[in-house]
Order: sequence, then C-alpha cells, then structure tokens
Amino acid sequence: MIETTSHSEAMSKEEALQVTKRTTRSSTSTPVKTPVRTQKTIKSHASLPSNNLVFEGEPLSLEALISNFPGRRLQILKLLNFIGPLNTSMLPLFLYGGPATGKTSVLLQSFRHLQRPFVYASCRTCHNPKILFESVLNQLLSHRQQASNGYSCAKKCEKPSDFVHLLQEALKEVINTLKGNSKEKMVPKESEGQDHKSMVYLIFDNLELVRDWEKHSVIISMLFKLYDILKLPEVGLIFISNASPDTYYMNTGSLEPLPIYFPDYTEDELYQIFSRNQENPKLYSSFLDITLKPFCRITRRVDELSIAFQSLFQKYCEPLSDSGIVPTGDMKRMLFKDLNRHLAPSLNETFSIPSHLSYEEEAKKDKVRWKANVKNSGHGEALDDINFHMSISAKYLLISAFLASRNRATLDATLFDSTGGGDNRKRKRKISEASKEKKETAEEELLMKGPGTFPLERLLAIFQCITSVMEDSLDEGVQESGSDLGAEGGNSELMSDVLLQLSTLCNANFISKGGTCPLEASTRYRSTVSEELALKVARSMKFPLSQYLYQK
Amino acid sequence: MEQQQTLAVNAQIELRRRLCDRKSIFSIFSDSPNSNHSKLKFIVSNSVTEGCNNSVLLLGPRGCGQKEVELRAKVLDLVIEDLKSEHHDLISVVKLDGILHSDDNCALKEIAKQLCLENQLLFSKMASSDDNSQFMIAVLREYGLAHKTVIFVLDEFDLFAQGKQRLLYSLLDAMQSVASQAVVIGASCRLDADQLLEKRVRSRFSHRKLLFLPPNKEDRKRQVFLHSLTWKLHCFTLVNYANKFNTKLHNIFKDTQFMEVLDALSDYDSSINNLLNFLFVAVCDMALDSGYLSLDNFKTAALSIQRPFKLEIIQGCSILELYILVCMKRLEDKEQNSYNFNSVMKEYKGIHVSYQIPDYYSQNVCLRAFEHLLQRELICFMDNRGHSLSIEFRPVKLLISSYELHQALKSNRFFPVRVLKCPSSQVNLIDWQKRWNNFPLILSQWLLAIACWFRRAFSLRFKFVSKWSGFSLSMCMPAIDDDITSYMEASIQLVEVERDSEDNLLANI
Repeated sequence: MIETTSHSEAMSKEEALQVTKRTTRSSTSTPVKTPVRTQKTIKSHASLPSNNLVFEGEPLSLEALISNFPGRRLQILKLLNFIGPLNTSMLPLFLYGGPATGKTSVLLQSFRHLQRPFVYASCRTCHNPKILFESVLNQLLSHRQQASNGYSCAKKCEKPSDFVHLLQEALKEVINTLKGNSKEKMVPKESEGQDHKSMVYLIFDNLELVRDWEKHSVIISMLFKLYDILKLPEVGLIFISNASPDTYYMNTGSLEPLPIYFPDYTEDELYQIFSRNQENPKLYSSFLDITLKPFCRITRRVDELSIAFQSLFQKYCEPLSDSGIVPTGDMKRMLFKDLNRHLAPSLNETFSIPSHLSYEEEAKKDKVRWKANVKNSGHGEALDDINFHMSISAKYLLISAFLASRNRATLDATLFDSTGGGDNRKRKRKISEASKEKKETAEEELLMKGPGTFPLERLLAIFQCITSVMEDSLDEGVQESGSDLGAEGGNSELMSDVLLQLSTLCNANFISKGGTCPLEASTRYRSTVSEELALKVARSMKFPLSQYLYQK
Repeated sequence: MEQQQTLAVNAQIELRRRLCDRKSIFSIFSDSPNSNHSKLKFIVSNSVTEGCNNSVLLLGPRGCGQKEVELRAKVLDLVIEDLKSEHHDLISVVKLDGILHSDDNCALKEIAKQLCLENQLLFSKMASSDDNSQFMIAVLREYGLAHKTVIFVLDEFDLFAQGKQRLLYSLLDAMQSVASQAVVIGASCRLDADQLLEKRVRSRFSHRKLLFLPPNKEDRKRQVFLHSLTWKLHCFTLVNYANKFNTKLHNIFKDTQFMEVLDALSDYDSSINNLLNFLFVAVCDMALDSGYLSLDNFKTAALSIQRPFKLEIIQGCSILELYILVCMKRLEDKEQNSYNFNSVMKEYKGIHVSYQIPDYYSQNVCLRAFEHLLQRELICFMDNRGHSLSIEFRPVKLLISSYELHQALKSNRFFPVRVLKCPSSQVNLIDWQKRWNNFPLILSQWLLAIACWFRRAFSLRFKFVSKWSGFSLSMCMPAIDDDITSYMEASIQLVEVERDSEDNLLANI
C-alpha cells in the first residue's frame, strides 16, 4: 500500500515540492494546508482517470479563499470571472506580477475552490521542452513514473509538432471520459445536474524561464498559439509569469492572452499578511509598527521580509520572560529602544549565516574592538570578521590574486622589488601632483571595467614575492635561531600545493577563470573579491596590503 | 429573482462561447463579392476544375501588434470548408504551421502523415525523410491521375523560408514536373515573404499575392460588435429578455462615450482579435443579478485590456529601487554613455550627500535591489557578453521612458521628486526654450498642440502615444524626426510650465 500513497511519479513529486515550497515560503501569510494533489490509485478509480486532476480534500469556500490571501481580493474575483461558470470556454489568461505576489498559490487555491480538473506544469522544474511536454502528457494520461516501468514516460516527445499531436489526442480522451462520467452520473443524481465538468485547464508556470531555453521563440509562440492550434473549446490555458506580457514580444500572430496583474503588496497589505497566524498578535503588531515601515522602503517582497523579520523578532522578544505577554505602552517603549540597536545593521544586511559556536567565541574578542567602530559609522561594518576558515597559503593566494587584479602589470617591479621601495614613494607623490582629471578617468575606468585579468605566471610571481617578504619579517623576529634552510623549507611547503589551492579558490568563486587570451593562448584569471574582504583577509594575516595597492 | 440569475448565467455562457469561437465571427466578412475570400476561392476552385497547379501567397500586415494572420487563417479555413462542401471527394488538404514544422524533415514527415491519414494508408514512423519525400511525389502523381487536388496550406510561411528551403523547393519543383493538381497556399505576416525565397524557389513560384488589410472602418467594428453580442430572436426562447438586451446594447453603441472607448482601443490595436478580447472581458464582467451589459462594463474592460505594463511595475517598486532608477536616469541625463552598478552607487552616494535624503543603505542591500530591478526587467544589461564579470561591473541600461518614471514617482507619496530634477535637464530645458523661439510660429504651435493632446490622452494610453505622435509629427515635418522624442519631452515640460495658456492655444488651432 506504500506504493499507492507515495508519490512515485517523479513529475508529480516535483510538483508537490513546488507547491509546498511556495506555501512554506509564505507560510506566515497563508494558513493554507499544503495542497496535495490527489494521486488516487488507478485500480479503484480506473473509470475516472480525470479525478487525478482535481484537488483532494474539501473544497475551499470563496470567503475562505479571499481571506486566505489578504490584498488579493480583486485579483481572485477577476480570475474567477474570467474562468467563468462551469463548462464555459475561455480565452487564454496571463497572470503576471513580481515574485512572491501569490500568483501560483492564488491560482491553485482557486482551482481547489472550483474543484475542476487541471494540469500544472512549471517551467522551473521542467527545465527543457522535452520534460515540459512529457510532464503535461503524463498528467493528462494519469501515467506515473515509477520503478516498475523504469521511470519511463507515457509518451516520448521532443518536438513541438509531436507534442501538439499527442496533446490533442490526450485532451480529447480526457474530455470524452469527463463527458461520459457526467452522463453516467446524471442518471442517479438528477437533482445535481451541475456536476458534469467538461473543461480541462492547462497551467504553465514560470513562463519567463522559457526565454532562456534553446529555440525559445518557437516554444513560446507555440504555447501562446496553442489555443488556436488545438481548436478545442473545452481547454482553458493559463500562463503564469514574472515578466509582463510586453517583454515577450508576442508578435506571433496568435491570440493575445488576457492579462491579470498581481501588483506588489502595499504596506498595509504586508501588515495584514505578517500579523496573520501569530501566537501573540498584539506583541507582533507592536513589533511590526516599528519594523515594517523602514523595511518597506528597501523591499516589498514577502519572502525577503519574512526572513529578516524572523531573526529580528527573536531579538525583540529577548528581554521578555513570557512570550504570551500583552505589551503595555511603557514596555513597548523599552522594547523599541532595545530593538533600535539591531535595526540599523539588519537593514543593511541581505542575509546572515549563523556561524558555529566555537567560532563565535573567537570572534568575541574582536567584537569588543569593533564595537566602537560600529557606533561611529552608524551603519555598515556589521560583518566584522571573515566568517570562514582558510589555510594560510590560500589567504596569501587570495591576496596576491587581488593585487594582480588591481595593480597594473608594469608596476609589479617597483612594488615588489626590495630595492625599488624608495622609487615607489617618489612615484606616488608624482601621481598625486598630477592633474585630477586623469585620476578621475582612471577611477571611472576602474568602476566600469572591474578588476583586471592576469596570467597564472604573474600570480605565482606575486605570491612568491609576498610569501618571501612575510617569511623575512618573521625571520627578523626569530633572528637568533633563523637559519636560511628553515625559511626555504617553509616556502617550498607553501608552494607545493598552490595550484590545488588555486583551483579551490576558483571553485569557491573568489577567483574567476576568464577566457583565454588570444595572443598568449593561456588562461587568464580575475579576482572577484571586494576590497573590504581582501583588506580583512590581509588584516587577519597582519599583512600590510595597503602598501602594495597602487591606487591608494 | 433566482430565475433571473440563472437566465443571466446562461446568457453569459452563450455569449462567452460565441466570443471564443472565432471562426463564425470571421464568416461575416466573407459576404462581400470583391473580397479576398472570393478571389482565393476562385483561384483554388480553378485549379480543382481545370486541373492545373497553382501557388498563392496571402499576406497581411502585423505591424504594431495588429494580427491579421488570424484573419487570413480564418478566411482560408472558410474557403476550404466551402470548397469541400462543393467538391468533397476531390480535395485533400495538408496543413503545416511554420511554428511547428519549420524543420524540413519534420515537415515532410507531417505531410506524409496527413496524406496517409487522408487515404487510409498506414504511416510508418520509421520512414526516413527521403522515403517521405518520395512518397509525397508518388502521391502527387497518383492524385494527378485521379484528378484530385491536394491543397498545401503553409501557415507562417516566412518561417519555412529560413534555412535551405528544401521543403519549399521540393514542393514547388514537384508541381513543375509532375502532372499533378496541387495548390500551395502560404500565409505570412511579412509583406516581403516572397523576397525571402531563394532564386531556385522563387522561379518556381507563381507570384500571386493577396493582400489583407485590417478592417478599419466603423461599419466593420459595428458588424463584429452586433454580430457577437446581440441575440437572434428566432433561436432564443425568452423573447422579452432578448429584446431588452438588444435594445440596451444598441443604446450603448450609440453612446458617444462608448465610441470614445472604442476609438481608444483601436488606436492601441485595431485588430479584430483585440476587439473580441475586449468584448470577452466586458461579458465576463457582466452583472449577473441584472443580466444586462452596461457601459461601465465596457469601460473597465478597456482599462483592463490595455495596461501600462511598465508603469504598473515601477509603481510596485520600493523606495530604494526607485532611488536606483532615478540615479540611472540622472546618469543618462548626464549623457554618460555607459554605466554599471558601481557608477550608479557613486551617483547614489552623490545624491545622498547633496539632497540629504534619509535613505542610505549599504552596497549589498543596494545590489539586491538592483537585482530585483533586473528581474522586473525595468533595466537590463547592455550586452550578453562578459558573463564572467560579476553583476557590479556589467554595463546596464534603462528600459523605461522618463515619462513613465516621472509618473510613477509622482504617484508615490514617500518619494522626494526633487531628486529627479537633475541640473542638467534644466539646462536642457532652457536650451530648448532658446531653440523654441527660433522655430517658425506654426511649427511651434503644432508641437505644443500635440503636446497638449498628449497630456490629455495620457490618462488612458501613454504607452503607444509617444510612438504614435512621433509618427504623426514626422509625417508633417520629416526634417526633424531624428530627435523627435527629446523634442516631445521638452515640449511636455513646456506645457507644464504654460499650463493655463494651453486651452487658448488649442482654440487657436
């Protein structure tokens, strides 16, 4: 019996995941029980394959549907209007609006309310035409991919022309069985004559992703023209997309779908969404009074806000002993003061990674030093130390890559030659005396072009220079025992696996591998590290990075 | 009451069904004797009765969103249906669609499949494309001997003309050499579709072209409107209701307000499909407790069909995202030819200092906002190259007009609009006023009048207006159409300066 309950069909699994993912993301906003599509066993319902296409569970009433989605009343009513009463044909619809505005969940829940058969395919999970086509066909033919059939599809189809043929056949079959069912049912239940459904709806989600596929223009125009090609009035087409219809260049000569826009939530709607389903609504609303306004100025996306609020609310509750408490005026003021400390840094944070405990203790020492800084600058610098571990040679490599990217290759000699130190200073003075315009254009160039590229040899040379300088300075500290042999040994140890380290850094996206230079025919690298991070790394090594930076 | 409601629901279902079934609506165009419909019918029936080969190209402009392909395809369907009813056994039709079968092998396979189906033959999936093309030629020969005609309908003809055009060549060549009876009908929205053909294909083509123009006149609109919405009394049981419905509809149609809505709609997109979409939305909005269409239904339908896509999206932006847009606009006003996130950040810092705006956020938060803008497609990268560079360094550009940005900022009560007024743009305006004084009087009045009209029209349809008026302006003054948008923008600003004189001016002209 496990077989019957488990969603062994790969597609439907993905789909269920998709649906649950969406609802969990907005779980603060909607109390929707994770909608699980019916996967009834074919044995018992062999005669009703289209039952699989309807939502399981009790239908949602219209009031519940509207109250589940604050601020989406107009859209829901419009959608239901367009879909219309039972067994009415409809023109293709096009739902669009920014991410996290409830397009997919509103649509799916509306179908739960309507209790009508539909097929849902997301272009995100079905990431190429073949998978998309086969997923739609599998659902229509109520075919499940499982171990017993070797996870094969009901129909193999790759080309749009095949898809249209197979889709036509499958749809006709489904519609016929639907009609047949209704006729059978009509006899015993004459009073409920409305129970016959003969419309099937095809939903294509995340349509904007199709534009990145190969041969996307063919697929998109085919999908938009599907209504014309199929010539079946019993099929309703619904497209969901992040991008507005004008970005699709729909000059395909097909029917233009009717647009329904899901606008971003306003501040009031966000308030309603976040204050739903809270354990202590009063406490949370006093929290929202403080936080929602500043955060709304940055982003109005529910998903990002809910992440930010989650950790912030914990901090808000920290001084409270009892989370069920109803805040009074005084307490609110106290809590507000407390929270204000955290508010500014968290506004300037995109996400924070919880670090390990052992590491936190280490970092605490630094924090004392940094707190003064934070207070001075008011914002920023919330991340005070590097939050990752790295071997010393990797750190050196990172720094040398950064230097190679920032400095011009011609300056290497003056910067790293031990005899060229004096010369270096002179040169610097000259630059500062030079006309400001030149400097500005250079700055502009740096802003526009980004970090420069460098060949591997240069990186290794700089690496060698830096490490030898550092070894020397270390040697000065332990001059008595300092023997040349020891230093050299250390050096060679550092050099031994440097290429390995380089590839690790490339994989971690600290250094990016650029295209090959056409003249030299060797791979060129580019450091993608920001200056702050490089300085931080250098500081942790006590390496005087600023000395080697040309522009500073 | 309840009875009334079920009646209304049934009426709505029937109307929706009618609007979704486009074929019947296009049949009203087939009546007139001189239409393309009858011409096409003549050509095809000629080849059926005389036993000769023929090829025709049906062309219709699509231009700015008009989709007359629909019309063509529908006429074609009607013709074929007519002919089939006349000589049923003598015709078989092979339909191909450029979107589905632009690949030559695929198309040959499809032809073979459809021919097999027509003649109750067994189609083998394994057949190679060589087999298929040989089969096609053999069938053509057989058809010729039996005096039967094959009609090949190639929709989206221009897509077949991509690549090596093997299919077109083999089709047309077969018609040259074999004693067959075949008609090739191509339909395309490209007026130069026959120029796309290769030399060897073109020489085998008959160069017969039929041009389809969008129905523009009032009577056509009227026809569609009345045909699709009124009830025919003899086929409707509730005569009272139907009568009342029809008279109400006629009253609405005579209303000047309704005509304005309809005009606005056809300014935007004059195709029949757009009109039908509009009617469909109106029918969906029909109040079910009364069961009649009202003027308001049509007004709201017009608004919901032609949406200001970009403007709506900008209005959904957060304050920070708006600041980034404004910074980009300022950079563009400074005529910086290319800029990226870093230069935008620099500008942002600049306005933070000079205007003392309260919102100043760290770089990574701004970068996230920047990514949101990319996702909303309000901005995009200049080129597709440089994927290895990180986002900060890739040059970007704005995808919105300054008008849209202005409008969105005005509607946002939290945003200080003064930030947008960059010093450089004011210089522009003064500069422009100087130029304005040098203009001949008539010309400047024209410009101003258009700008006024502009401002009034904006409330409904701003997206297409700029294009449209640019077009009309270049019609009357071809000399200055280069720089027309900047002129228009400046003249809008001027109008805002001299708002009270606007009415006088309009009266003058």
